[in-house]
Amino acid sequence: MIPNGAEVFKLSRLSIAWLSIIFGIVWAVCWSIGVGLPMLLEGQFGERVTLINEILKAVTPIVAILVFIPINAMFMVLIERRALAIFTVRKGPNRVGPDGNLQTMADAVKLLLKEDITPTGADAFMFTLAPILFFAPSIFGSLPLLAAVTNNHDLFKILNLPTGIFYILASASLPVVALVMAGWSSNNKYSLVGGLRSAAQAISYEIPLVFSLITVCLMAGTLDVVKIAQQQAGGILNWNILGGGALAGLNQFFAAIISGQGADKALAAFYPYGGLSYVAALVLVPCVFMSFCLYLTSACAEINRIPFDLPEAESELVSGYNTEYSGIKFAIFFLAEFTNLFVVASITTVMFLGGGDNPIPPYLLDKFTPFPQMIAALRETPLVKDLHLINPETLFATFWVIAKVYSLVFFAILIRGTLPRFRIDQLMNFGWKRLIPLSLIIFVLVVFARGFVISHG
Amino acid sequence: MSYDNLTALLSLPVMETWMFYVLSALAICLGVGVLHDRVVIRSGFILIGVFGTIAGFFLLLSAQFLAMAQIMIYAVAITLVVVIALMLTNPRLEAERTAEPDDDNMPAMAKFFASCKRNMTLWISAFSFITLYVAISGENRWPVAGLPVAKDQVKVIGEALTTTYSIPFEFSSVLLLAALMGAIMIAKNEPLHDPDEEPKKAIEDSKTQENNLALTR
Amino acid sequence: MITQQQSVVAPNALKPKTTKLGINLAIAYSVFAAAVVGTFAGKSFAPNGFELVVANHYDLWFCVGLALVGWVFRSVGGHKGAIITMTILSCFIILTLNQGQLVRYLSLSALLFSMGMYGMGQSRNAVRVLISIELMLNAVNLNLIAFSRYVDPIQLKGQLFAIFVLTVAAAEAAVGLAIVLQLYRNTSTVDMNRFNLLKW
Repeated sequence: MIPNGAEVFKLSRLSIAWLSIIFGIVWAVCWSIGVGLPMLLEGQFGERVTLINEILKAVTPIVAILVFIPINAMFMVLIERRALAIFTVRKGPNRVGPDGNLQTMADAVKLLLKEDITPTGADAFMFTLAPILFFAPSIFGSLPLLAAVTNNHDLFKILNLPTGIFYILASASLPVVALVMAGWSSNNKYSLVGGLRSAAQAISYEIPLVFSLITVCLMAGTLDVVKIAQQQAGGILNWNILGGGALAGLNQFFAAIISGQGADKALAAFYPYGGLSYVAALVLVPCVFMSFCLYLTSACAEINRIPFDLPEAESELVSGYNTEYSGIKFAIFFLAEFTNLFVVASITTVMFLGGGDNPIPPYLLDKFTPFPQMIAALRETPLVKDLHLINPETLFATFWVIAKVYSLVFFAILIRGTLPRFRIDQLMNFGWKRLIPLSLIIFVLVVFARGFVISHG
Repeated sequence: MSYDNLTALLSLPVMETWMFYVLSALAICLGVGVLHDRVVIRSGFILIGVFGTIAGFFLLLSAQFLAMAQIMIYAVAITLVVVIALMLTNPRLEAERTAEPDDDNMPAMAKFFASCKRNMTLWISAFSFITLYVAISGENRWPVAGLPVAKDQVKVIGEALTTTYSIPFEFSSVLLLAALMGAIMIAKNEPLHDPDEEPKKAIEDSKTQENNLALTR
Repeated sequence: MITQQQSVVAPNALKPKTTKLGINLAIAYSVFAAAVVGTFAGKSFAPNGFELVVANHYDLWFCVGLALVGWVFRSVGGHKGAIITMTILSCFIILTLNQGQLVRYLSLSALLFSMGMYGMGQSRNAVRVLISIELMLNAVNLNLIAFSRYVDPIQLKGQLFAIFVLTVAAAEAAVGLAIVLQLYRNTSTVDMNRFNLLKW
């Protein structure tokens, strides 16, 4: 049995409580700014406030993210400490609040009240700019993802760009500069080495990262994250992790069997070249799964998670680039690291795990569950009809997104508890001699195999 | 609403003029900062801002793909390479500009010509700007097509790159590969005939960096 | 002339060692020359260009005020870059305010190109020369994309060319910086004036 089952129970209770608090707050903020306040204003003043309402709706995603990030980071720090305590069979935080659940709040208050020191000889302007430049891209870069996970909801489609994934990648590559800047400006050799290490590491691991995402974009035929998320709707066989849509024909085949008509036609429509197409699909499935693993690995390196956290290796460099930081600047670095982890998990969810899609295909779901009737009944209630309090289309999608993203976060924590840190030459060898050739091979295979299969018909 | 809200917002005429002047003010300030800052590494960091504002101009010109490529290639990759090169070479050894002779007895015209001679580059660049401006400006000088920009730009660019311009595209990729290998070969410190050396440029760089730390700091 | 002499003498009493008379004079003259040539160019190329500039008092005086603010910054001991920035900015606004959209972008790219040219000629650090070259290439990219937006918005040839410029710039930066590194290893300097082995 599990040696410390009580701790596991505490962890799961804590996650459920915290998640409901987080998303309750975010949902309340979104509703009150994006729906409630405009409705109230329009009821009071009529047509004159249209512009204000448009502005309110436009700032909703940014406000939602700004509210979401601090409480989410607090939750993630707490759950990480608790989970690590479970993996190493010891007690986690247990002093502050009930079961130590308020530990991160106390930490946050401590960090905000600490003195903000700029070391002697430091470049003060760059020293202040570095945390901001580190933090800002994770806010602006995650806006298209919001549109993608809510299936292009009205409030969140402000930054639904046609070059969505490219935008996300571009803004995800900016924090590296901030790390070098922090390392250089703090006038400390450990910081400088940490910053330079992060630069070398990020440049090396960005290539397999981009290649693994390009593989998915190649299968989807678009760069738009909303379209990529929409294409994967309809069950686990349609998700990009299983062949990037190569199994969509199989999905249609099962649907046809269950409905009892035209099973062979469905297969022929998606695999037009007979045996060659089946071989291509068999090649595509492991290739795209490998690129999923590649993405997770290189994203871990990109955001300096633990097997790759050489920029802040405590045992060699004191704390790397944030050695000299204290107070609110350190808090921003800390916040941004956990936000980056969350953003990476969201990108993985949207690009590989189907966004807000249900793993059970709709043809099975319609048979066994009363969900459609439930949603229809929900749509008739005054809460939805008059107040738009709940969006029945995105209700279940939200649950699935939360489940997928936090499972990935938990997976990252598991890896942190399991693997030791790389050495710098091992890291470089692994990146340049293993990951980059592997990603190139996968890319070429996908390019050739893609022509034989009609994906996401 | 058109196909994409950001482009629609940015293509409003008033918005475009205001954004243009705000961004150009930023670009000019940061550009002067790059050329003028005494600490060379800081001017390397300011370069990120210049490239970022130019990416903003690309967004204004509704070239999203190029804007993202600008941020990814220029503002991150090239700037990082420049900054690391600045840290590896020792910028503190750079001599200050020689002090200008302070001769008050010269007549005004002679003083003027002396300053001209000293600031020859400034004059040449100012002259080139004026020439370019005279050549550029004026109404109806360019055949401005009043058409809206193509809707699926990425598709247009991709198709053109793989069909009409495929040979230059291949050549540019070969050029990049050759430049990569050439840069590694040039920057490598060991003699070339050493049999068991490994092309670990980044590691070499970090090692050299650690050696240089005592000098730079 | 008299006011200029006075403004030079007064800060000298406060700050004995900074006499940047030459560069300030040159900048003042060049701004004046640019403004004159620009307005006359506007007059000759555009109908009513000169009258538009003069009649639009608010903008003109805004720009002059901007330049004055820069001069005040300088005279109270502010950064030397402040006045340069202010004069360039006001000059730019005067020159482009009454032009079309395309000409604005082209003027900006010409300005960035000239700034890159200045930096390339003036700076003694080899890496800063490379930075200036990057600035010039960026100006060219801006030019190309402005043309592709306003002249050729369907086929986007300018953007295609900009992609090629981007790759060449990346290659240039990599090779150039490697050469600078190797030069630094051999001569332990990055001063452009010392690289004169091939001079005869």
